[in-house]
Amino acid sequence: MKNLKLIFVLAAVMGLSACQSKVEYGDATEVETVNENFGSTDLQDIAAKMVDSMMTFPPVVVMTQTNRPIIFVDKIKNKTSEHIDTESVTDTISNKLLRSGKFRFIDMTKVDAVRKQLDYQNNAGMVDPTTAIKFGRQIGAQYMLYGNLSSIVKQDGSTKDVYYKMTMRLMDLETGLIEWSDEKEIRKVKSKSFLGL
Amino acid sequence: MLKTLGLSLLFMASLSGCAYNSVFVNYPSQIAPYKQQLASNSPTTNITALADNISGNDGLLYAQESGRIMQVAGDFEQSKTYYQQAIVAYQAFDDKATISASQLGAGASSILLNDNAIPYRGSGYERIMLHQYQALNYLFSGDAQGALVEVRRSNELQSMEQARYQQSQESVQAMANGTIDAQMAQLGQAAGSVTSSFLNAYSYYITGLLHELANEPNDAFIDYRKAAQITPDNRYLQQDLVRLAKQLAMPQYDEFAKRWGDAVLPTADQGQVVFIVERSFVPEKQSITVPFSINGNWQTASLATYQRQMPLAEQSQIGGLGQTLYADSIAHIDALAINALKEDLPAALIRQAARIYAKYELNQSVQSSSRRASNQVDAAAMVMQIFNVISEQADRRSWLTLPRQATNSQTVYRRR
Repeated sequence: MKNLKLIFVLAAVMGLSACQSKVEYGDATEVETVNENFGSTDLQDIAAKMVDSMMTFPPVVVMTQTNRPIIFVDKIKNKTSEHIDTESVTDTISNKLLRSGKFRFIDMTKVDAVRKQLDYQNNAGMVDPTTAIKFGRQIGAQYMLYGNLSSIVKQDGSTKDVYYKMTMRLMDLETGLIEWSDEKEIRKVKSKSFLGL
Repeated sequence: MLKTLGLSLLFMASLSGCAYNSVFVNYPSQIAPYKQQLASNSPTTNITALADNISGNDGLLYAQESGRIMQVAGDFEQSKTYYQQAIVAYQAFDDKATISASQLGAGASSILLNDNAIPYRGSGYERIMLHQYQALNYLFSGDAQGALVEVRRSNELQSMEQARYQQSQESVQAMANGTIDAQMAQLGQAAGSVTSSFLNAYSYYITGLLHELANEPNDAFIDYRKAAQITPDNRYLQQDLVRLAKQLAMPQYDEFAKRWGDAVLPTADQGQVVFIVERSFVPEKQSITVPFSINGNWQTASLATYQRQMPLAEQSQIGGLGQTLYADSIAHIDALAINALKEDLPAALIRQAARIYAKYELNQSVQSSSRRASNQVDAAAMVMQIFNVISEQADRRSWLTLPRQATNSQTVYRRR
């Protein structure tokens, strides 16, 4: 009984000390290993690798020497067993490409909003017709950037192995040719701790 | 001595959270009113009292129940939130250390009270059903990609379950090889029903269906084939297999066509309508209580069990479509539940033995110390005995709003 009591007291002390919580700022580019799920580090690694690979690929270098090709980004298909915001991945990649000053982008997610605005300018009777932006003056994209993210998950006892593969391609819309393609692989292994709360 | 006991109880309560929902009130009686509501024509969506328990000890269980109730009631967004909470709880259990302090605390509570003091951890089949239902939630709220994510999770879990039984079940091995040989069909129901009490053909069917909806017929074929291995007698599943084998020009096509008849492909102006009919509720766990006395101290032992149920008819009828459709059974969830309990039983018996010993020791120590204090009526010991008998409750928790049987049917319909 005495031992039992000691165990309870110990457990209670441990329970109490776990109650303290705190908030602090961290480095956004720090390696994050909270769990084995798709995380910020994976996103940053994928974006960095893809942008690097595309910008240094010789045909793409030639392509961007004289003009700034116009690209639209198709949604990245999520083929993993996790709910991942793939739009965020494409956002990061298109941001980096745009910031390089070598490409121009068309945002397909905003087409409806733009149409609404142009409709308002041209048909609502509220906007000076001389300043209203006309329909049918936008420039068409020359290339499509698309890809998919797949994963293989294996688990046995206390070990869990997650493998991600991101494939991206750049297609010339006129010829249908793939001008560039690359993939980024990530492997994470998680082993369960033996002792813990 | 009583003070010590009180103190220990207090510590345990603080350690394992405050919500002791099922420790003294048995779980099926808590869910009974909700089940009654679900069986009516207009299921209630007022489940705040139930959902409040999600933050408690058995949060996982209440999240599953809440999600299911909302899904049946048609509120898919809310259901998705509840199911997500259950999924997070499962993942938290996965991440727990092999020897964890909080689990030790709960284990100690279970030794003094009963097994209901251990946080509910769910069983394999419940977790698979959870992802399957969550996939339907995503589908019904228009997110096909999200639905497929849940499908893949469900498949990952199914393959883990499959691996667990690989050694013992030959038919499961045949399934891994992907061969539905004639011999298996001849073994028929006997082998089929054995496999079907471990593996869930219903989940394979739903995941196959979703793959087909997402225009991934090859993946659908794989899942249908696994489902057919578990329930070989389902006519609609056989038709699906023949149809997909033909469509994909699979080498098994000739064999399937010979056994089940040629594929009936819908024409250009026809669409396929799939019915999934879930019937009845999965049975509740009952408790058997055995009273006995050690050295004049009354003790009881309580264990959970399933009572024999009247079997449901294998087919269900769907009317109102011109001709009556008959839905074939695809899975018996009650068989899965019974098997899950069977697996838990050895551990429950060990805990039961430890509990009887602990309670007996407590009784003895209370008795001797209070006797020393006074030579009168042994009030403390009597209180202890009453506490023992009352606190001994079987662990009757399980996901009770699940159906008992799932059946499926399909027909082609002319587009208008």
